[in-house]
Amino acid sequence: MSATLLLLAALAQAPQAAPPAAPATHEAAQPHAETPAPHAAAEAHAPAGSGAGDAPSEGGHEAGASQDDGGPAAVLMHHVLDGPAFGFWSKHLISFVLAALAVLLLTQAARRSYRKGIPSGIGALVETFVVFIRDDIAEKNIGHDGHKFTPLLCSFFFFILVAALLGLIPFPQYSEGHWSFAGTTSTGNLAVTMALATVSFLAQQYAGISKNGWAGHLSHLAPPGLPVFLLPIMIPVEILGMFTKPFALMVRLFANMLAGHMVITALLMLIPLMAGISTAFGVMIIPVALGLSLFIMLLELLVALIQAYIFTLLSAIFIGMYAHPAH
Amino acid sequence: MPTDPKAIAYFAAGIGAGLTIIGGAAGIGRLAAAAMEGIARQPNAAGDIRGAMIVAAGLIEGVTFFSLIVTILLAIK
Repeated sequence: MSATLLLLAALAQAPQAAPPAAPATHEAAQPHAETPAPHAAAEAHAPAGSGAGDAPSEGGHEAGASQDDGGPAAVLMHHVLDGPAFGFWSKHLISFVLAALAVLLLTQAARRSYRKGIPSGIGALVETFVVFIRDDIAEKNIGHDGHKFTPLLCSFFFFILVAALLGLIPFPQYSEGHWSFAGTTSTGNLAVTMALATVSFLAQQYAGISKNGWAGHLSHLAPPGLPVFLLPIMIPVEILGMFTKPFALMVRLFANMLAGHMVITALLMLIPLMAGISTAFGVMIIPVALGLSLFIMLLELLVALIQAYIFTLLSAIFIGMYAHPAH
Repeated sequence: MPTDPKAIAYFAAGIGAGLTIIGGAAGIGRLAAAAMEGIARQPNAAGDIRGAMIVAAGLIEGVTFFSLIVTILLAIK
């Protein structure tokens, strides 16, 4: 619960954190006013051929003078990164809250579908996943008391999966005088994945300390039977390892979700881009762009499942490493 | 050779993206080859091998994405 509040507070800060690639005029209301100037100057050197051809198409796309200083890269980043939606809320915050609500509704519906211990419908689906997480992920990697960590691992798995699936739905949004798409994957925000990784890190430390005590947990940094002169190397490396593991979790999930969205946005942006050259090109490119985007979206479904599974599995492995050190 | 740092950055981003995909695809290709061979030798271990292959592929792709982030930063900054 407090983790949720912390996360909401972190995300509410996100629009003020000035995503580095947002176009200049969108940062006018934000305190970091020094970044737009070099960025606007840099975008003037955008790759040849796209600057002039973009202005009419991007003008129609953005319905304003806000995008004619940036090339397609700026538009892409604007759609993919976080930004204000419905006033001062941010897109990722809304997407994150929706995903959390969806997970809660899902689990409540699953619980209510139990009749005499046998679930039906959505409950059977959720139970398949939960049993899979408990048996194959938690118990196999954390040991005999792995079932105590099952709620946490289930939370990771279902939240990441639902957030990724929700990000594939394009929600329309009316902002800055024109319609655009506000559907973004909330896990494509570094703050969200950092929060997930922090919770994972805290769980790992909790597992280690509750099983082995403070001294025991720290003394496992140096495996027994190690020559003493290696200790000054091993201890910093192990301590660093404690932090790089959740860091890798964070960047992996973030990059996977962001890359998928950037590819989809780039493919769909081909349409106005080609239409800027000539309307006939624009119409011809529509089936190609849509077909490729559909294919990438199918891939995204698979990637969502795999990334949720990998995050959960690696968290379980790390928790097991600290709870029951093999050495 | 262009001297504008922005142009060199774009150039480097392109080369970086190519190198990234070479490393990632080579690693995952080897992994897939080993997995195929394992399944061919023991078809009833196919489920375990498939699970392990997916996990390893996800990890390798994670590392690929680290360098992809660096490339993207080059291209947009």
